[in-house]
Amino acid sequence: MIAQIGNLFLSGALAVSIAGLILYALSAIREDKKLETYANWIWMTKGLFVLISSGALIYLIMTHQFQYYYVWNYTSLDLETQYLFSAFYGGQEGSFMLWVLCGFLVGAGLIRWTRKPYRAPVMFVMMLTQVFLLSMVVGWDLGFTKIGASPFRTIAQEMPNAPFIQANPDFVPADGSGLNDLLKSPWMMIHPPIIFVGFAMMTVPFAFAISSLWTKTYHEWIRPALPWTLAANLSLLTAIFLGGYWAYETLSFGGYWAWDPVENASLVPWLIGTAGIHAMIIQRMSARAHKASLFFAILAYMAVIYQTFLTRSGVLAEQSVHSFVDLGLYGQLLLFILVITLLGIGFYLFRYKEIPSVDKESKILSKEFMTFTGSILLFILGFIIIIGTSSPILGRLFVDNPTPPEIQFYNDWSMPLAIIMAIATVIGQYLFWQKHTWESLAEKMIFPLIITSIATVISIVFGEVRNLYYMVFIFAGWFAVIGNGAVLLSLLRKNPKLVGGTVTHIGFGALLLGIIASSVYTEPLLDQQTTRYNARIAAGDVFDEEGFPVTQPVEMFELELNRPKLVNEKYMVTYEGFEVSDSPRPGQQTYRIKFEPIDGGRTFYMDPVVYPMMTTSSMNNIDWSVDVHVRTGWLSDIYLYVAGSQYVADRNEELENQRVRDELPEALAEEERQSIEIHQGETIEAGPFSFTFVQFTPASEEAVPENTQIGVRAQIRVEHRPSGNAYEVEPLFAVYTEDGRSYTYSPPLSIDRWNMDVYFSSIFPESDAIEITVEGLDEEFEEDWVLIVAERKPYVSVVWLGTFLLMAGFSISILRHWGREKAAQE
Amino acid sequence: MKPKLLIGVFSIVLFTSLLMYNFGNSISTYVNFEQAADRTNSHVVGKWDNTKESGFSRETMQFSFHMEDEDGNVRRVVYPRPKPNNFEQATQLVVIGSMRNNVFYADEMLMKCPSKYNENPDFEPAETAGM
Repeated sequence: MIAQIGNLFLSGALAVSIAGLILYALSAIREDKKLETYANWIWMTKGLFVLISSGALIYLIMTHQFQYYYVWNYTSLDLETQYLFSAFYGGQEGSFMLWVLCGFLVGAGLIRWTRKPYRAPVMFVMMLTQVFLLSMVVGWDLGFTKIGASPFRTIAQEMPNAPFIQANPDFVPADGSGLNDLLKSPWMMIHPPIIFVGFAMMTVPFAFAISSLWTKTYHEWIRPALPWTLAANLSLLTAIFLGGYWAYETLSFGGYWAWDPVENASLVPWLIGTAGIHAMIIQRMSARAHKASLFFAILAYMAVIYQTFLTRSGVLAEQSVHSFVDLGLYGQLLLFILVITLLGIGFYLFRYKEIPSVDKESKILSKEFMTFTGSILLFILGFIIIIGTSSPILGRLFVDNPTPPEIQFYNDWSMPLAIIMAIATVIGQYLFWQKHTWESLAEKMIFPLIITSIATVISIVFGEVRNLYYMVFIFAGWFAVIGNGAVLLSLLRKNPKLVGGTVTHIGFGALLLGIIASSVYTEPLLDQQTTRYNARIAAGDVFDEEGFPVTQPVEMFELELNRPKLVNEKYMVTYEGFEVSDSPRPGQQTYRIKFEPIDGGRTFYMDPVVYPMMTTSSMNNIDWSVDVHVRTGWLSDIYLYVAGSQYVADRNEELENQRVRDELPEALAEEERQSIEIHQGETIEAGPFSFTFVQFTPASEEAVPENTQIGVRAQIRVEHRPSGNAYEVEPLFAVYTEDGRSYTYSPPLSIDRWNMDVYFSSIFPESDAIEITVEGLDEEFEEDWVLIVAERKPYVSVVWLGTFLLMAGFSISILRHWGREKAAQE
Repeated sequence: MKPKLLIGVFSIVLFTSLLMYNFGNSISTYVNFEQAADRTNSHVVGKWDNTKESGFSRETMQFSFHMEDEDGNVRRVVYPRPKPNNFEQATQLVVIGSMRNNVFYADEMLMKCPSKYNENPDFEPAETAGM
């Protein structure tokens, strides 16, 4: 019942939207105020309908009605309330609804605030995008084709041919399939709403650009459009930041950015939007660059829709690992992008001759020229990323079945561009606030250049930078920070309200510095043994079992309980055990790793977590997942996770044994023969027995073979703890030579009472440890070890700082431009 | 005006061809395990074959598993790192590396992202779903 209501209101929303679209169009053509008022009412009605429908979907999710495919697919009974709520926009269908809702709110704001000549055409474009978005979720079956996929469809509708549906059409699953554990993060809860607010606001400059072409008023539109574009960019930036932060903290790939199509999908509209902002600023100040600001306003929204098309139509699914559910929306999405392109670019070309342009060209040393340069550089970067992301389509020009480009492609092109951009920001900012000749500009630059050079030299020396290219990059980053910083200081004295742009440019410079430091100078944390092993690999001295040289260095190391290891000649690292708890996830283990800086710094602990993935684990198989622990610091982050542990290996082995026993009930346990390394004075337990290596004792000459070089006994105390019975054995270990070759001799000593043989099988002189081997022990030695993957990433904090400065700069500019726009209206 | 326009057009054409040339070089094509045997570096798409043994070895510090490519060839894959976080959940794997003696040595491995938009391909009916 609730679902039918939800579905009905969704369809109703689309129906009234189409009516509203016609009304807005008529109102714009006839300049009829009355029609526009009606259409505004329709806008509000549509918003109400979508709200009711969303409420219905949330109700179904909250009440666990698993007969609905969407509810079943994204939620489960054990999901916490906040994640149940966010599951509303967790799937493709719901995220379209959220996008519609965000668009509705933005539209409501436009109705309230937009100036007269633009309102009807702006709302026409807004309504057009809403019609398309709503059409993705209505789920109309027209017989010859289907329009959209409704979030209210039942499992029976989703998979009518499934055997259990054919057997019982009213089948209701007992529980849902649940939300992926990796997505159970507060960052992931707020990420989608922010990105859709950004997408919705990015519609506004597009709508204003179309209205400007429609009404042939090319000057005024940027005044209301500019604050919206800034706000859209702020939202996208925040969303990109949240996504990057989530990836860094949650996924174990070790970074915040991987140039992956989904990340690029939000970056490209941001870059082109920023290019648009630059062009709009020139137009507002100097009444030029009309063509550019129109073009970029149109292109930014096209980028939003194009990237939506790439990520949601299934185009990437075939080619990329980042596949999205294919709801059969390919045709609709294609139509959407075609209509937007035709409306935007078509209209633009149609009016191209009429758009005002200035005959006189700008001098190179002018704020117009420099700002325009910024705009073009941003556009070029966006264009390159679009080319890379479009590899499933464009790659076909070169090969069949193309792969995504190598990461190197993005780095090779974005690094030189970033260097040019960084230098251009400083020259641009100096010219922005004051007219300059080459001489006066050079004079102004002397001081920042000196400071920049000092900072660069210090960075190169202390960061041990050897690569010339990176040196130039670091110089450019510092120049952007310091040059723009100097502009900021002089602006703060004059008019602090104007600092928005300068702050963003400082943030950009800081971002570059943080990126180069944290990505190029990340070092793995490894113990001495692994470091030596890697040196041998680098020298080509290590071969695998098939005789091929090993080329990949080992990037992890093993820690045994309470045995400290020196890591990177910097920290003594000790594994101090783990705790198992059932909260928040059943069976999760928190490991305790102690770091003691050997130069006397403060001791700290890392607490990485390993947990079973609930959504995919079953009785026979546990899928383990890790929570990375990141210790954030001003200078560097330590990034660490547990890649394996005795506990996890034991659980897996138990399950494996269980399976073997189920399959072969009469399978006999083999005679167990186990070895363990033990230090002098140490006690190791195995079931009810404990083994203590008391000390070395000398071996008498009669006991050892001839030509013995080493002959030693180990005094080992074996105790059966429940009974308190204990034996001391002194097994022998000897190395002797015969015919010029060395042999080891380690005869067993039997403990008849427990039917157990003890061998002294090896010796490790450098660590004062020996290996004992025991036969006839049913239980295993209770070793406790963890495999650690850890990295030190310098200056990730600067990446975040740069991002925050960008956000702050955008916010200051929004307030300023919005304030002026409001003042102009009154 | 004319020469400037010419320079502009020329540099745009130069830039675009350079970009496309570099782009063309940086992409490659997906192959199956059999084709990979004749290549130095290949991308192979496939699925984890969970009926065969898999696991991380503490001796060699490598994760090894069997993967079935899209044409049904099953090969052992060796990956020199721990098992990635979302390995079991990945509905598709891409391994990048080279084939030696019928064993694929992966330098890199990509998993289908644990995205909210992913379709869950395993549908368990209620009889087992509640367990």
